[in-house]
Amino acid sequence: MLEGSGHLPHARDPVKVNLLLRDFVSPPPRPSRWVRGKSRRKRALYVSSPIGLGHAQRDAAIADELRRLHPELEIDWLAQHPVTAVLEKRGERIHPASHFLANESAHIESESAEHDLHCFQAIRRMDEILLSNFMVFHDVVRDDQYDLWIGDEAWELDYYLHENPEQKRAAYAWLTDFVGWLPMGDGGEHEAYLTADYNAEMIEHIARFPRVRDRAIFVGNPDDVVSDSFGPDLPLIRDWTEEHFAFAGYVTGFDPRELGDRERLRAELGYREGEQVCIVTVGGSGVGGDLLRRVIASFPEAKELVPALRMVVVAGPRIDPASLPTHDGLEVRTYVHELYRHLAACDLAVVQGGLTTSMELTANRRPFLYFPLRHHFEQNFHVRHRLERYGSGRCMDFATASPSVIANAIAEEIGREVDYQPVETDGAARAAALIAELL
Amino acid sequence: MTTTVERGADTASEQTRARYPDQAGYVRRDGVNLYWEVYGSGDLTVFLMPTWSIIHSRHWKMQIPYLARHCRVLTFDGRGNGRSDRPAELDAYREEEFAADALAVLDATATERAVVVSLSRGAERSLLLAAQHPDRVEKLVFIAPAVPLPPVVSRHRAAQEFEEPRDEYVDWGKWNRHYWVENYEDFLEFFFSQCFTEPHSTKQREDAVGWGLETTAETLVATQLAPRLQDEGGVRDLLARVDCPVLVIHGSEDAIRPCASGARLAELAGG
Repeated sequence: MLEGSGHLPHARDPVKVNLLLRDFVSPPPRPSRWVRGKSRRKRALYVSSPIGLGHAQRDAAIADELRRLHPELEIDWLAQHPVTAVLEKRGERIHPASHFLANESAHIESESAEHDLHCFQAIRRMDEILLSNFMVFHDVVRDDQYDLWIGDEAWELDYYLHENPEQKRAAYAWLTDFVGWLPMGDGGEHEAYLTADYNAEMIEHIARFPRVRDRAIFVGNPDDVVSDSFGPDLPLIRDWTEEHFAFAGYVTGFDPRELGDRERLRAELGYREGEQVCIVTVGGSGVGGDLLRRVIASFPEAKELVPALRMVVVAGPRIDPASLPTHDGLEVRTYVHELYRHLAACDLAVVQGGLTTSMELTANRRPFLYFPLRHHFEQNFHVRHRLERYGSGRCMDFATASPSVIANAIAEEIGREVDYQPVETDGAARAAALIAELL
Repeated sequence: MTTTVERGADTASEQTRARYPDQAGYVRRDGVNLYWEVYGSGDLTVFLMPTWSIIHSRHWKMQIPYLARHCRVLTFDGRGNGRSDRPAELDAYREEEFAADALAVLDATATERAVVVSLSRGAERSLLLAAQHPDRVEKLVFIAPAVPLPPVVSRHRAAQEFEEPRDEYVDWGKWNRHYWVENYEDFLEFFFSQCFTEPHSTKQREDAVGWGLETTAETLVATQLAPRLQDEGGVRDLLARVDCPVLVIHGSEDAIRPCASGARLAELAGG
């Protein structure tokens, strides 16, 4: 008997039902080996969200700091493309079961339309993938002893651990850079009802099982949290977050000071003196093709307004550069090694509204235009709120930004001196220190 | 006759799956095309049976990817929904037909034996399959089984007046063929609100209503009027011919089939 469950428990309590089925159908073999507590190596399992590339950089930086505090610590990663691309380059150990993870990035791309991604609905419609990936996690930690699990926006982990608290068998640290699902204006009452319902469930989870998250870390500062409420009769997001999270400050994944002198960096990267360099990038996903095309269309006019303009368009791993139009003098590249160095060296960047790239630009004090994806509540509300606090970037609306509007904005912003609030450089160390206490 | 198709092409609204079938195809039995899918491989097969045709095999979406990592998984859309045909006559929806379909799918996929897992109305057809072909069924799992064991269901009275038009249709009064035909989507909304009594089940309800909209009220009326087991005696007769291990899973807050009737099935099955 499943107490409290309704008529379709396999859909509503799938972890429990799956495990019951597995045990009845073909029980997993009993492990032939057990390691005494005292003989165990200190190990952590890091689950990094694969939606966007940003998490990989910051999680790698946090992992480095953790190893500094616990040199004997072994870290395994349960991760998928494109996070694995970053981790493999660094020689991180990717757990072989990662191979079983269902791909979240491809799903998110499949949910997007022209510069449009209904992020909340896309994540809801990922329920089957999330559950499947939680079951992979379950099997890994059933067979392998870890002292600590770290989930950076690993939604499946956080949700199903709260739904099945008996599955928690290690210390668990949760990281996120936003709190609260928010409805888009045109979603009407129904979407507001749904986001409030999701928020309410999360709040109830934390209230009922405070022991599940041993650490909840907000990647940012209290002022970065939006002032909205979670929904009718629910608390204010800022109040609740301050009560339930520790704040690590922003985690850049690199130290801008290590980039050195900007003039030398420019020379090193092949940018000539007097050139006005504009980098156009949409990150690692395939969602940004429409923005790239629109910015490319603005190039001739922008070049007239800024004769020294050198525009470099980075297509990224999931957009075919041959599918993009060309102009004389315009560079289109598939991949740029250490893009963050180019972003640090440029005179202007044109980007989507994702947090990582826009905060990199903020930390490097570069002017930039950003275009939040339509219906992407995180980019439209949470990220925008944060950037406004730093006074960084110029928010553009894809719907109204014609090539001519973009060309004029490029001309106005390129090479401009900025007065952003400074971004801390110790975020990774602070996050790691908060996590290290659990080891 | 069996046809194998490229992995089941997505319907327009279907969300990304965590895993796609390794094989998929149709088997035609008595003029009705039945769509099946196989995932994974191995000596052991788990056969996820169709339930009431108000939903189709996607309702197993949370089980398939996990189970397929550990064994071979077979499922099919029951007649009346999904990619299978929707015959019009009610006799086409007798439980014996579903059981015979299941056997045809086992044959079409060269599945000698399987652990048969059913949900709700999938129970009777699974019992029939196990009773008639014990050599093909290794074990039986019943989730929220819908078999005529006490206590009576909350919609009992409405079910008796299923064909009578009413002045108004409220709550289980919506369990009525006239209401289904005229307000199909609202009936689905109501029914699945009763299926998912747990708070915060918006996504599960939406999924189920969406699957329900892939068939028609007329088809559901036919499934409802087709004869089924009427009493405990019928269940006992079938169980007497079943000799494999049985697992019953039932939620205490099940508002469609009382948990006690699942417990009774487990008891009769010797558990």
